Amino acid sequence: MSEPGPLPAEAVGIRTHPMTAVVQGALWSVGGAVALVGTTISGGGWGDLGLLLSFVVAVVGGLVIGIGFGFLTWYFTRYVIDGTELRITSGVLTKASRRIPYERIQSVDIAEPLVARLFGLAELRIEMAGGHDSRTTLRFLHIADVRELRRVLLARAHGQEIEESVAEDHRSLITRVPPQRIIVGTVLSLDLAFAMVGLIAAIVAAIWFDQVLVALGGLLPFGSTIVQIITKRVIEQWDFRLSRGDRGLRIERGLLSRTSQTIPFDRVQGIAVKEPFVWRRFGWQRLEVDIAGYAGNDDGEGGQSTSTLLPITDPALAAAIIAELIPGTQITPTARASAPRRSWLFAPIGWRYRWAGADPAAFVASQGWLERTTSLVPHHKTQSVELRQGPLQRWRNVATVEVHSPPGPVDADGRNLDARTARRMWEEQLDRI
Amino acid sequence: MKQPMTPEDDLFSSPTGEWTRVSASLATIHRLTMTAPAVVVGIVAVVVALVVPSLQWIPWLVAASSVVEAIGSFIWAGRSQRAWGYAENDEDLLVTSGVMFKRLVAVPYGRMQFVDVQAGPLQRFFGVATVTLHTASAETTSNIPGLPSSEATRLRNRLTELGESRGAGV
Repeated sequence: MSEPGPLPAEAVGIRTHPMTAVVQGALWSVGGAVALVGTTISGGGWGDLGLLLSFVVAVVGGLVIGIGFGFLTWYFTRYVIDGTELRITSGVLTKASRRIPYERIQSVDIAEPLVARLFGLAELRIEMAGGHDSRTTLRFLHIADVRELRRVLLARAHGQEIEESVAEDHRSLITRVPPQRIIVGTVLSLDLAFAMVGLIAAIVAAIWFDQVLVALGGLLPFGSTIVQIITKRVIEQWDFRLSRGDRGLRIERGLLSRTSQTIPFDRVQGIAVKEPFVWRRFGWQRLEVDIAGYAGNDDGEGGQSTSTLLPITDPALAAAIIAELIPGTQITPTARASAPRRSWLFAPIGWRYRWAGADPAAFVASQGWLERTTSLVPHHKTQSVELRQGPLQRWRNVATVEVHSPPGPVDADGRNLDARTARRMWEEQLDRI
Repeated sequence: MKQPMTPEDDLFSSPTGEWTRVSASLATIHRLTMTAPAVVVGIVAVVVALVVPSLQWIPWLVAASSVVEAIGSFIWAGRSQRAWGYAENDEDLLVTSGVMFKRLVAVPYGRMQFVDVQAGPLQRFFGVATVTLHTASAETTSNIPGLPSSEATRLRNRLTELGESRGAGV
């Protein structure tokens, strides 16, 4: 097909990299091949064909179908960048067109799934504010093109012309988290320990009762939990690099699939400092961040890995990064209120660790015994403030003050504080936001 | 002179001094949707008990529980309606509600993403509507039911206007 002459190239749009067909096809054909191979194994081959031959047919068939579909989607996908927005049209039968106004862009990420990485390709992910389906992906482009596109989009998102935007190389590495540290941190986290204990208990029980079924019943849930934890916390956070640019922090991470995220300074809606039980002995912390748009996308990668700002760190660096993202805040404000003893009813042990407070820049609330979580929400990002009290709380003369932030890991609730104190905090919070 | 106040009244009092209360029709609507069905179930149960004596105590139990439900919901509807209140402060909209579980939400005008006005058939019959505020946070579920239609429209226009003039976005 020849390009229609009179239309300028911009209006027609640009296709993504031709290898997309192959890569996307390869990704899809894995699924197809697995399904087809499954039928050959369970059925002992297809009809007259032998087992080996039908196996080969299944794999080849999966590849052909996958690449066929991959080619079609690639052929019909085009993107346009103009003065005001990015437009992506796609769809073979059902045409879809998405417009992304630059000013609504929350963040731009680059992902390199393993297969794409082998070909030097990458995927562009654009987050916009608003519920689910706020992520737009453009796959796949040459890695250099993706980087250039991200630079342009981020510059435009901040209302700059490309000409005056500075080159992206103004980056300084803040920290690199070595893989062994992530492994040690994961091994010492409680949920992994629980899953391990459960797994061992299941195996012991199976040997004791001499029943394979018992082992399977325990292996599946605990095993999958362990695999999930290791994937999320180790493989996806492998070789974690945090660097600083002109407009935001840059995160690069991943062992098999590399991901590169940008967190613009002014789009941080809140920060959570998490300290699991064992980590506290060593003074380690994990930092998670609330960015509008991230929470609604649990596409297998999970909210946890995308919202991680630092998988493991020491308090000094954590404090420095928090100070950079929310200028003028301390993690432990001087003016803070602890939950009173009479609130033990709601958290027999945890009440000792509950407090909330505010400093000129942010509202801070902390809670948790097994995993202590300190949440910070900057005042100028606070969406609303709520005071609540249930019948039991009324009996104990306590109340909860909640500072609402967009969906994400940050949940700044001062639970079960003294009722008068909670009301006073609520009122003070109104003056601050 | 200090006014004698119970702690919980004080705790959820309006910073502006008073609450604008919602229409008494809200209680009527709740009574129609909750109390009336319970009364009907109770009457049916009594009739069944008298007509089919072989069922013994079962219909009476149903009748008794629906009487409890009817009385409870009748009282709750009134108290709940009186508990709803809102106030327009300089910088934020304040909404309070709840009889057992009391809450008091403050939404700064600039953080409102959009404002909805909804009215079902029963609500339209009584000339009331529900105004719902949306911010970027899912936790801000701030709705005000039982507003007279004209007041609902006024409030929506006022909030939209204030939201635009103070909008900080996300």
